[in-house]
This record gives sequence, C-alpha cells and structure tokens, in this order.
Amino acid sequence: MSRFLLWRGHAMLALPARVYLGVIFIYASIHKIADPGTFALDVATYDLLPLVLVNAMAIIMPPIEFVAGVLIIVGWRTRAAGLLITAMMGIFVVAVSMALAKGLDTSCGCFASQAMEEDPITGLTVLRDVVWMLLGAYVVLFDRRPLGVDGFLMRRRENDAG
Amino acid sequence: MRELMGKPEEGTCEARLSDGLGKVIIDALVITLLCALAAVVVNRWGHPKGIPLVAPKAYEILVPCPEPGGVVTALGPGDARIAAKDTFRVDAREAGVFKAWHLSTAMNVTYDYLDPTPKDLIKRLAQRAASSRAQQVVVYGDGEDPDTGEQLGKELSGHGIKNVFFVRGGAPALRKAARP
Repeated sequence: MSRFLLWRGHAMLALPARVYLGVIFIYASIHKIADPGTFALDVATYDLLPLVLVNAMAIIMPPIEFVAGVLIIVGWRTRAAGLLITAMMGIFVVAVSMALAKGLDTSCGCFASQAMEEDPITGLTVLRDVVWMLLGAYVVLFDRRPLGVDGFLMRRRENDAG
Repeated sequence: MRELMGKPEEGTCEARLSDGLGKVIIDALVITLLCALAAVVVNRWGHPKGIPLVAPKAYEILVPCPEPGGVVTALGPGDARIAAKDTFRVDAREAGVFKAWHLSTAMNVTYDYLDPTPKDLIKRLAQRAASSRAQQVVVYGDGEDPDTGEQLGKELSGHGIKNVFFVRGGAPALRKAARP
C-alpha cells in the first residue's frame, strides 16, 4: 500500500482525470452562472432545501464549480479543488438519489435547464455522479505532486532548499 | 486511538495519507468563502439577471390558478399549439391504445370516469410540465362524447394547472389530421 501511495505515476494518471473533471465543472457552471433564476427553479424542483436556502445555493454553488474546475486543470491548489469537486459530487449524489426515491420525474439541471425528456434523472445519473466523485477523491488522496502550478512550485522549493 | 498512538511515523503510509490534508481542507474552505463572497457581490450589483439572496415567495412547481378551476379551451386537431415546443402533451386514453399510437413526448394519464385521477399522478404531471418549461398543457382523449381528453383537462385545471387545452375530436382527429 505504501509503495502504491508513493508511486510517482499518480501525477500522470491523475492528469486526464483532472482535465476531464475540470472541463465538466466549467461547462456545467456556465449556464447556472448566466441564469441563476432558472437554476434556482431547478434547485427548488428537487424539493430538498428549505426556501431560504434555495436562492443562496443557486447563487453561490456555480462560481465554486467554475473556480474548482479551473484550479484542477491548471494544477494550482489541485487537491483543494479535488476536495471541493468530491464534496459537490457527494451533494449531487444525495440530491439525485433522494429525488429518485421520491419518484420525482424532473430534469437533472446538471448541464443546462433542459426539458425533462432531454435530461431526466435516472439511476445512471447517480452512477455517473459516483464515478466523478471517485475521480475527485483519487486526486485528493493520491495526486501529491500534481503536474501543473503546484508541481512547479514544489520543485522550486526543493531546489531552493538544496 | 490516534491520541494514544501520537503522530504517525514519518514516511509511513499513514503519514503520507494525512500529509497536508489539513492544509487542503483549509484551502478548500478559503476558496469556498472567497467564491461565495464574490458570487453574492456580483449577483447583487453586477449581474443582469441577479436574484434575491432569499426567495421572497415559494417557487410554484404546481402553478395555482386564479379561477376556481375546471376551465379548458378546445383546440382544433390542426392547431399549431399542439405540436409547439413549449407544449406539454397528455394522452388521456388507456395504456394499450396509448402504446399503439400517441403524440411524441406525450405522457399517458388514463382518465377514468368512475375514479378521480390520483393526486400524486397529477402532482407528477405538474412537476414534469414545470421542469419541461411548458407554457401550456394540451390533453387529448378518445374523442367520444363525452371526451376523456376534455374531462381530464377539466380535472387538471381544477387542480390548479393553468393554460390547459383539449383537442376537439381527440386522438382519432389528430391521426386524421396527420395523414396527408
């Protein structure tokens, strides 16, 4: 296990996962940032949050998605961005699972405010979100010397230390 | 247990796992706080479609109707609103005939003259209509006299769903209109 944790190849393995997650999060956040009112309606349709939190969630969450997506791609505060993505995916998994358990036939609201027929929530939505959550967790736990700004800064610090 | 054992030995697997995790959590919290602050400020002062931080009233998933209910308007089978993108279509016929033919994306809610339509089914219909951003609901039935489409339309309208229409002549008229 120790060898596996110390393996230098994690950085190479995590890079495509980081870019993939980053692109997804940036893409998913854009329509929500552009139109918070519509995203608030999507949040309300899930019927999980009290009314006082619906708009706050719709305003605050999309910029965090966007920033986490950018940071995980450029590799600055990589593991923190991975942690945020993992936490958000955890929230989405719980929200979608509860909506499914309630029998809500609603659109996911994940990438655009699409009609229910175009983007319905199903068991596959939960599975997809779990996979993305695991990718985020992999970055947090194993990508200790990420390729990108963090890796560059680490190498420079080590060189300065001699 | 951790307190009893003290800090994990340097270079061990446990030490590697916990290495920097506290800093990662602090970084994540700082990013979250900064983003939240920026989002609230931009939403309040710089966003053309900004919304209030707290919704002033509940979002209407079930749209209340100002009328006592039961009002439906008849549409001819060739009316453009039936096929419009912002129309939510409902088929009031039995499941068997629905399977044989129905309008694209129509939802099947079989109308029964003896039993009222279950409330949870109407709620599901309203939620689907709301999430599809539909502006109107068009119901069609068997086209008989009385017509199941018209009856279900009245029932939906009575439950607070607004802009409900029914197709005069029901499914047979729609199929006839679709033929060249």
